[in-house]
Amino acid sequence: MNRLVRAEIFKLRTTNLWWLFAAATVVSTVVMLAVNAVAARALLKPFDQFVALDTHGHGGQIPPDFLAHLQSEWQTGHSAITQAVTLYTSGQLIGVLLACLLGIVLVTGEFQHQTATTTFLLNPHRGIVVAGKLVTAVLMAVLAWLVSTVITVAAGAIFLHSQGYGTQLGHWAVLRAILLNLAAYAIWAVFGVGFGALIRSQLAATVAATVLYLVGATGAGTVFDLIHTYVINQDWVLAAQVIVPPIASTVMISPTATFDQSPAQWVGAAVLIGYGVAAALIGTRILRRRDIA
Amino acid sequence: MLLNLVMPTAGTATIGGRRYLDLEEPSRVIGAVLEASSAHKGRTGRNHLKACCLAVGLPMSRADEVLELVGLTPAADRMFKGYSLGMRQRLGIAAAMLGDPQVLILDEPANGLDPEGIRWMREFLQGLAAQGRTVLVSSHLLSEMQALADDVVIVAAGRLIRQGTVREVLTSMAGDGRVTVTTPERDKLAAALERIGADVTADGHDGLLVSGATAAVVGETALAAGVPLHRLTADEPDLEDVFLGLTQGKAAIR
Repeated sequence: MNRLVRAEIFKLRTTNLWWLFAAATVVSTVVMLAVNAVAARALLKPFDQFVALDTHGHGGQIPPDFLAHLQSEWQTGHSAITQAVTLYTSGQLIGVLLACLLGIVLVTGEFQHQTATTTFLLNPHRGIVVAGKLVTAVLMAVLAWLVSTVITVAAGAIFLHSQGYGTQLGHWAVLRAILLNLAAYAIWAVFGVGFGALIRSQLAATVAATVLYLVGATGAGTVFDLIHTYVINQDWVLAAQVIVPPIASTVMISPTATFDQSPAQWVGAAVLIGYGVAAALIGTRILRRRDIA
Repeated sequence: MLLNLVMPTAGTATIGGRRYLDLEEPSRVIGAVLEASSAHKGRTGRNHLKACCLAVGLPMSRADEVLELVGLTPAADRMFKGYSLGMRQRLGIAAAMLGDPQVLILDEPANGLDPEGIRWMREFLQGLAAQGRTVLVSSHLLSEMQALADDVVIVAAGRLIRQGTVREVLTSMAGDGRVTVTTPERDKLAAALERIGADVTADGHDGLLVSGATAAVVGETALAAGVPLHRLTADEPDLEDVFLGLTQGKAAIR
């Protein structure tokens, strides 16, 4: 097991993949941190200033609908703790997707480069091989989280402090979000390994995962809103959005509501862990049964 | 199935009495070369072998040793995508030799090799066999097998057709052995041979194809008839003829 993890890490280290993932992690973290910092700066102002910033000063006559929308947005976000959490976990949006892709690549790479034969010849116990890949994916995810968090906490703390809100790092809710963010990275990496086993083609698996992740969050939100408005006008319909994996990971790390009727943090965590375990079990099962040509 | 890559519908396959899955360190018992192109395109040959060493708990220095063994050291630090088919085959053999196994299994090792590569492969495998190792090769290149193998097993359409040493398999089909003979006095020799009951036909050039008589009988008949011979050869069937004869009608595409 130990050997397999070392071999997998060596394999990652000896292709250009290593640098691609590292660069993507750093760049996406920095970009998202900047975006979140701009938003935080506005949201933390009093409401009238927030409106002025959001409408770029030339406010004029604001339609009442839009004003109500701004009001609810400001109420959700106007908290130093919420903004600290958002800033310190800026890396998550793209980071967990990268962790998932890494998991996918670890598995599909074996088929893409026809190395599965060699791998399974060297270690015929396939369950252990998959376990080695899971451990490797999680270790890499932890590393990505570490890199991302060092950047966001350092830069985010300086930013918050400079804005006069303190670093907020003393609050358990903030620290808990940072740690839960780590769990999100790890679970998504496990999820990726399972997904890669399910869809063997590297291209298909990476594209499918990326699209599902990016479109899934917003698309699912719209779908659930429509169902809520036109089909079943019950609050649990909105809460049920949490079954979509990217929404579950957002719910999991946010100490405050992320959308209308969003369920408690532990629900998001439970959903995500459920997906991770299911993906790992199904992936292992598929890889154990499959014939290697 | 032998290597646990494909699941059999029934039965088990063993190596030295143990299933591949039950071997504690399979790479030290058996090495296999199955697909020529099995390495990551963007990794060097040396790193590919080092990763294999790590995966089976061998010291990384084994990578350099097997590279030397297959003569790939000069190309060790080039990316796999730049390797020729011959170099890929050598890398595959190097990976199989990492654990210094007593049994080596190769699938179509001569595929895509140039004549020099084929000769190298043959000598390398024969060298391993001479050290007392077992080398199992599966191939469709029958002339190459005839030159390489001690024992052959012919399988067609999933069934065992013939098994034995190359000589045994060849002679099992050699009943209709023919003799080619070249002479300036064709008609005279043909008449003499037909008198002793042999079947004679022209071979299209300036020779005769004789069946129903051994080379010795043909030679003696020519001497008795006072006909000079320029060439006298017994046509031995080669492995390809034997294979086609044995598997006729059985090698349907399934």
